[in-house]
Amino acid sequence: MSTTVLILIIGAVFLIVLVWLVLTYNGLVRLRNEAQQGESSIDIQLKRRADLIPNLVEAVKGYAAHEQEAFERVTAARAHALEARSLGDKAAADGETRSALGGLLAVAEAYPQLRAVESFTQLQAELSDTEDKIAAARRYYNNVVQRYNTKQQSFPASAIAGTFGFLPREFYRIEDDAQRDPVKVEIGG
Amino acid sequence: MTLQEQIRSARLRTVLVLVLFILLVALVVAAVYVFFGQGFGLIMALVAVGYGIFAYVAAGSIVASASGARPVSKEEAPELYRTVENAAIAAGLAKTPDIFIIDDQAPNAFAAGRTPEKAYVAATTGILALLDRRELEGVMAHEIAHVRNRDVRLMTLAAVMVGVISMIADMLLWATVFGGGRNSNNQNPIGAIIAIAAIILAPIGGALLQMALSRRREYLADATAAELTGDPEGLARALYKLAVDRHPLQHVNRATAHLWIESPLRDHHGLRSSIGGLFDTHPPLQERIDRLQEMGGFQLPPIPAGGAEA
Repeated sequence: MSTTVLILIIGAVFLIVLVWLVLTYNGLVRLRNEAQQGESSIDIQLKRRADLIPNLVEAVKGYAAHEQEAFERVTAARAHALEARSLGDKAAADGETRSALGGLLAVAEAYPQLRAVESFTQLQAELSDTEDKIAAARRYYNNVVQRYNTKQQSFPASAIAGTFGFLPREFYRIEDDAQRDPVKVEIGG
Repeated sequence: MTLQEQIRSARLRTVLVLVLFILLVALVVAAVYVFFGQGFGLIMALVAVGYGIFAYVAAGSIVASASGARPVSKEEAPELYRTVENAAIAAGLAKTPDIFIIDDQAPNAFAAGRTPEKAYVAATTGILALLDRRELEGVMAHEIAHVRNRDVRLMTLAAVMVGVISMIADMLLWATVFGGGRNSNNQNPIGAIIAIAAIILAPIGGALLQMALSRRREYLADATAAELTGDPEGLARALYKLAVDRHPLQHVNRATAHLWIESPLRDHHGLRSSIGGLFDTHPPLQERIDRLQEMGGFQLPPIPAGGAEA
């Protein structure tokens, strides 16, 4: 009789541990996938901005062909953004693109005729929208990574994370100066 | 409390309310059992479960049509659309919810749809006219937060549970009036009295828990919205404007009150006893603003008593 009880208790404990194990493992997988999804979401928006850049450069060139330096900076930054593979490189190129675009738009400010061109103002509005979406995607990614890293590091889930190779993820950070001084795009002038 | 602490606290309190809910249902079941015995109790349980499933399914898409909402495209309302899109990206939703506009002077907004895939959000023309972009971002983030936190499903479930409890209570009361109870004669009378009391009080308790749950989810949606926009002050400013506004909402329905950004049933004449707060679907706006101030470290002037214009 007492052995039956003992076996039942051991079985129950074993079952509880097993359930906990499965839930924790699945929780880690879910957060890791969400972080992955967050990174793709950032990629989509970065790509969208990279696609806008050639048209924007063309539009400004039509009125300010001699502002060579600003165009080159933007084009170089765009190339870096398209080449970037690691998260850190993407973030660095993102910051570079932001500040280069800021420079280009500052140039455009000096040409009032340009700001009257509808295709240009439309590009500006789209750029501003894309900047907002990059920021939103970045917030999502960083929020998820924070949750993931906290879970991955805190005991006892950390034991499972260690066993099954759940590595901490890095945050998507752009340089401070770019963050403090984002591209400000005025719609409509 | 910081943002993360507020989110944790709201989650914990949700669990507490849900546990109380389950206890209440258990109490009703026990009362039925004591009062009517096993056979009748079983029949009643089957009827209740059937009714619950029916009500849950039927509660699907009645909200938008009942509120007079019309769908809008990105071209028709670009700013609103972008705001919702950005909030959906920040929340990691797979798709941007459908967007509706309601022609109503009263500034308000709501989210509905039981799963994030089928979710939709709606805003009144009044709120679009009243708020600036930053404030609108806060409000739409609050609605997207309801979607992400699965609040519509939770609140539908709560409403259905309260409905089931009320239905059982009604049936028992009718049975008492007409049948006097099958087994009540040969059981101890004190048990029967307690059972009757429980049956009468259960629907009220259920309604109280439902409202408490709704208020918890509002706080949570505010905190989540602050996380989504990174700007608690935008939402707080919007709530402040809503508090000062005096337009009553036209298409109001008690059944959908918990979905709105602020209670559409709010008493606009300031005649409310303190106990009335227990039956509110939303926490007081001042309290919500205070919490946002706490996490954001900013300060708005207090809401003027009775509103600015009345």
